[in-house]
Amino acid sequence: MSEWWSYGLADFLLFSPRVYFRLFETMNTTWGLAVVSALVAGVIAAGLAMRHGHRGNRVILVVLSLIWAWVSYGFMWQYYQPINWVVPYVLPGFVAEVVLLAVFAARPLPLRFGWRGDFSSVVGAAFIGIALVVYPFVGLFEGRDLMQAELFGSAADPTALGTLGFVLMARGTWRWLLVPVPLIWCLIASATLWVMDQEIAIVPLVAVWLTVFCCWLDLKNGVTTRRMTQAELVEPTD
Amino acid sequence: MSEIDRRTFLKSASALSALGAATALGGAGPLWAQTIAGQKRPDVIRKAIASTGEEIPAVGLGSWITFNVGNDMELRDQCADVMSAFFSAGGRMIDSSPMYGSSQDVIGYGLDKLGARDQVFSTDKVWTSGDGMEQLAQTQERWNIKSFDLLQVHNLVGINENLPLLFKLKDEGLLRYVGVTTSHGRRTEDVMAVMKNERLDFVQVTYNPIDRDVEEYLLPMAYDRGIAVIVNRPFRGGSLVEKLEGEPLPEFAAELQVQSWAQLILKYLIAHPAVTCPIPATTKPAHAAENMRAATGLLPDDKMREQIAAVIGVLI
Repeated sequence: MSEWWSYGLADFLLFSPRVYFRLFETMNTTWGLAVVSALVAGVIAAGLAMRHGHRGNRVILVVLSLIWAWVSYGFMWQYYQPINWVVPYVLPGFVAEVVLLAVFAARPLPLRFGWRGDFSSVVGAAFIGIALVVYPFVGLFEGRDLMQAELFGSAADPTALGTLGFVLMARGTWRWLLVPVPLIWCLIASATLWVMDQEIAIVPLVAVWLTVFCCWLDLKNGVTTRRMTQAELVEPTD
Repeated sequence: MSEIDRRTFLKSASALSALGAATALGGAGPLWAQTIAGQKRPDVIRKAIASTGEEIPAVGLGSWITFNVGNDMELRDQCADVMSAFFSAGGRMIDSSPMYGSSQDVIGYGLDKLGARDQVFSTDKVWTSGDGMEQLAQTQERWNIKSFDLLQVHNLVGINENLPLLFKLKDEGLLRYVGVTTSHGRRTEDVMAVMKNERLDFVQVTYNPIDRDVEEYLLPMAYDRGIAVIVNRPFRGGSLVEKLEGEPLPEFAAELQVQSWAQLILKYLIAHPAVTCPIPATTKPAHAAENMRAATGLLPDDKMREQIAAVIGVLI
């Protein structure tokens, strides 16, 4: 194709919004228990990540790893791949995210999640809140059925958004390794939603910009580079 | 071309031929086949494929976006309903591409459900710069069809490898017609060069009352060289009809007995002497039937065609 300039984003979208949102309805009705379980696990992980102190780091990482595995196989492969040619190209990235999260969980000193009270923490908490609570219900305002809700833990977009939130809530030199895959997916999701005339397209796009900004800010403030104190490293027992 | 893929292609073609023969020898087809088989279908305007003189109904069915419904069985059944309405209204040509996601699988599902393999004029494409034969074998498997009526090089991708491959299949009797496609007015000059230098049966281009560039050179050339023309994006991906919705039809439309803008646009296209078959896509069975009705009754003359283009041009 020598005339790439003549192609627009819409030329690469091969499915209709009707079919896209039906994916979530079909998945939610077919895999109801798994979908609810993934969401509840995400809520528990969010609760742990937003607390003061650094409790439950391994639990959070294991939950996120399992959730990404479920999103990769359940949603991306089973449902999204048949209609979107992009999926086979990004799926290895999703698998890499699963492995990375599992590797972090297995490390002696995994990432430390916790409320720090800085700007990145606020943004991270906001991302998690939007992914868990707001994202699923946006469709209601656009006339879609509740059964078409995109839920954190099963649908790719809110899971990627929420994962960026978890990463921003974390400390650890290598946390940036977890950023590229959800970041790239948020860009793809934003482009897809924008072509489908969905106003929520702005959310993953803003999330990308804020994540990049917060990563830069944290690097500058030493959040990711400063060695943690012994007190920070020891998990509180109370 | 991989020899293994070639063997797979030939083997599946033979197996499906044998299956078809066995079914024919056995008398009545399977139960689901009775939904289409034996149906009396209306006479519609037919246009000749110049290279053979074979006539096909002047309106076909596209599958771009509309048939990419994945594994959703409810939506697959809706697509089968569209195909059923299309066949029942006298249609035959269905067009797809490996590029259209799950559309090929969905067409195969619909043909299975309706038992319509003998009714369809199967039209697909090869769209790869890699192994064209491997892709064709996959396409054939998805349609679950013994052979294609027409295969085209999609958007001229891999034209130097894929076009000789299609001609070879045609020479071996595994394919009836060969063509090339483009859309959105892209690479028109390249398409015309291929039309000039190769013995094509079909060319597929974008044409509608707004996008009329092909009228100047490409359509006359196709007519002169005896190349049948398939028209894609007759409604500009649906946006043309959406914009015209609610606007009253012009008074002269009554002479053509059309009830909708979609029918008026299709009649505008069919009436062009070089055009063989526009392929509108839809998700609604009623629209498929309505589109087919454009291939009945009177067609506009040149003067009226200009009026149609002018009216639509003003309204858009």
